[in-house]
Amino acid sequence: MALLKISEPGEKLAIPVHRFAVGIDLGTTNSLVSTSSGQDIEVLPDDAGKYLLPSVVQYSAEVDPVVGKIAISAAINDPKNTISSVKRLLGRSIDEVLTAPQFKHYDFDTQRTDSIPAIITAAGIKDSVQISADILRTLVNRAEKFLGGKLEGAVITVPAYFNDAQRQQTKDAARLIGLNVLRLLNEPTAAAVAYGLDSRDEGNVVVFDLGGGTFDVSLLSLKKGIFEVLATSGDTLLGGDDFDYLLAAWIKSEASPTTELNSMEEAELLRLANLVKHQLSDQNETSLNYLGWSGVITRAKFAKLCESLITRTISTCRRVLRDASLSVEEIDNIVLVGGSTRMPIVRDSVAEFFGKVPLTDFDPDKVVAIGAGIQADVLIGNKSVDDFLLLDVNPLSLGIETMGELVEKIIPRNTTIPAAKAQEFTTFKDGQTAMSLHVVQGERELVNDCRSLARFELRDIPPMVAGAAKIRVTFQVDADGLLSVMAEELSTGKTAEVQVKPSYGLDADSIEKMLSSSHENAKEDMEIRALREAQIEARQLIDAISSARSIDGQLLIAQEAMRIEEVVAQLQLLMEQGTSVQIHELTEELNRLSSEFASRRMDLHIGEALRGESIDEVEQ
Amino acid sequence: MQQINQNYFQLFDLSESFDLDLEKLSEEYHARQVGVHPDKFSGATEKDKLRAVQLTSYLNEAYSTLKSPIKRAAYLLTINGLNVESVSQNDLGMDLLLEQMQLRESLEALPKDESALTTLSHLKSEVGEKLNLKQNIFSREFALGELAQAKRTFHELQFLHKLLLEIESGEEQRLGY
Repeated sequence: MALLKISEPGEKLAIPVHRFAVGIDLGTTNSLVSTSSGQDIEVLPDDAGKYLLPSVVQYSAEVDPVVGKIAISAAINDPKNTISSVKRLLGRSIDEVLTAPQFKHYDFDTQRTDSIPAIITAAGIKDSVQISADILRTLVNRAEKFLGGKLEGAVITVPAYFNDAQRQQTKDAARLIGLNVLRLLNEPTAAAVAYGLDSRDEGNVVVFDLGGGTFDVSLLSLKKGIFEVLATSGDTLLGGDDFDYLLAAWIKSEASPTTELNSMEEAELLRLANLVKHQLSDQNETSLNYLGWSGVITRAKFAKLCESLITRTISTCRRVLRDASLSVEEIDNIVLVGGSTRMPIVRDSVAEFFGKVPLTDFDPDKVVAIGAGIQADVLIGNKSVDDFLLLDVNPLSLGIETMGELVEKIIPRNTTIPAAKAQEFTTFKDGQTAMSLHVVQGERELVNDCRSLARFELRDIPPMVAGAAKIRVTFQVDADGLLSVMAEELSTGKTAEVQVKPSYGLDADSIEKMLSSSHENAKEDMEIRALREAQIEARQLIDAISSARSIDGQLLIAQEAMRIEEVVAQLQLLMEQGTSVQIHELTEELNRLSSEFASRRMDLHIGEALRGESIDEVEQ
Repeated sequence: MQQINQNYFQLFDLSESFDLDLEKLSEEYHARQVGVHPDKFSGATEKDKLRAVQLTSYLNEAYSTLKSPIKRAAYLLTINGLNVESVSQNDLGMDLLLEQMQLRESLEALPKDESALTTLSHLKSEVGEKLNLKQNIFSREFALGELAQAKRTFHELQFLHKLLLEIESGEEQRLGY
């Protein structure tokens, strides 16, 4: 029987305690923190009233790391100890970082074995996770000072295109400073939440997120408090910086096309271009002086210069619409995120493509942090919104390596997460007792063209004939977009599990490269795939025949044996040099030649099995 | 709370049929998501959190299966004891195979640039119409309990579906995605 709870007269009803949680936008250039002040979500300023914390950290031997604006001014005199754009180091291998021009002035520690990029500073060796943690700590301190107590959790935003390694390292950075991560949230989704929960809108929303170095587009369906991401896409080689480069190149060609610039002068020119870009956001034209040349640039001219960049952003919008099977007319709202969407040429093009004026109620720099703050408030339990839910997707396909270095896609991109998929694999050789599983991320068909996430081994498979063992591999992607993989041999129930902890990650640039080349190379991949499959098919038949002969060789007539040996030799040669069709045809031929032998074996074994047993026993 | 071994139709309170009210499917899906999604368990024990992740994954898989006509057809046949993975010669009519080959050849013969887009778009609606027609046939056959015939129609659907994907990927290549 249920107990009835009876309140004592005069006893106070329990007042729900407000728990301290924050939303953090950990950006490449700037970071922000937001929290609930009871009703609204506020982005928190520093003591000087600034909301944006530059994501720059300066290390010294004497004092704690300095983060933010002060670190920026230190960068000129102390470049080796002042780290910026650390977000670009997350999930990358040391080899990739060593060749990247924006990091060439740092001293990287090349002795590390885990291959997470680490920089030698005056305060010791600092890896990308530690540097990110120092930025997080500054934001946490700011929030705890404002709230007057310790934080219980945080929602941290990541680009929708971040891969497993990048997400994992973001989470590791929080763990390093004892910050409880309630959830990793995709940046475009966070922006949609900031808009959606306020206005209680329903319909389809496109989030257009153009930051300093990356570009993400997500399409969400909003319905009764449920935010369902339908598709996401991006162009990680595109950002506000690219507009600066084009403008700088134009200024140079107008002023002094033949002058050679050193790196200091290049930087100077880029600063000028950036200034001009910002001026053109507020006014229709601006005049400029460079190396004694003075000229005027109009907004229209700037638009013309950057036409190719704009075209690429619109092309990504088209792609997302296509992936979600929606037309432009079915989009109800467009949300702009990222400082680069302040450019009127970007706004106008987006408005023109969708036939609608984008929403700009929120500051594009703050909107992601606000969305993260809302989600943090809900997850920590301050805000009871029963029907509020975010359904996000995985941005890249996950797969496993199969024979012939082919990829078997297990969870395709744009699958709603959490997601689990099980796939059965079998052994390739008689008596095989171990199996190595290789997990990759990407859209291409060959392992080498995708990004390796992790390898793990399943041991102690009971020895059986090739193809008899059944190994079920389960991929599980959680709500943070993080993957774990489990493998089980079904006849023995033997399991092996790995949390995917890659030795190196997939950088955003290569994601984009992999995606775009996946379409270009689809046909070529198909041909290679056909060849590999034919080779595997041939190899399996040759192995099967050889193993059958070692057991029941006496069943083979000498003439048959000779002919089979001949064809096997031919086939082995073709496997090296032939086309998929040739290999396939000869495999068929060999199959026909050996079928007599196979049926004789079958008869023999059935005969042996039946001997001395009653029909009843056999039927059981 | 729903069980992981529940039939997808039972899971969403839908009757086992090819013709689905997609609006209702999506509503039922959302209603269940609110109950099991890991975000509703952020303060729970690790065990409950894991259970939430597994249940939600199952729910997502069920929804994506029923939402897609081709996957729904395969699922209906599977839960009625047919093996959709195995295709025999008798499952496919000769005339269908010939028609498929012709369509595929005309696809191959198209120029590799944007000039093919109009033709591709025509091909797409042609195949799309055939697909709709076959889906209606499948739906009728399944409703009448003619499972063997429904399986044959399903394999025809598979062919058309694959062709449609090829046309779409051809479009995407020419559009430069």
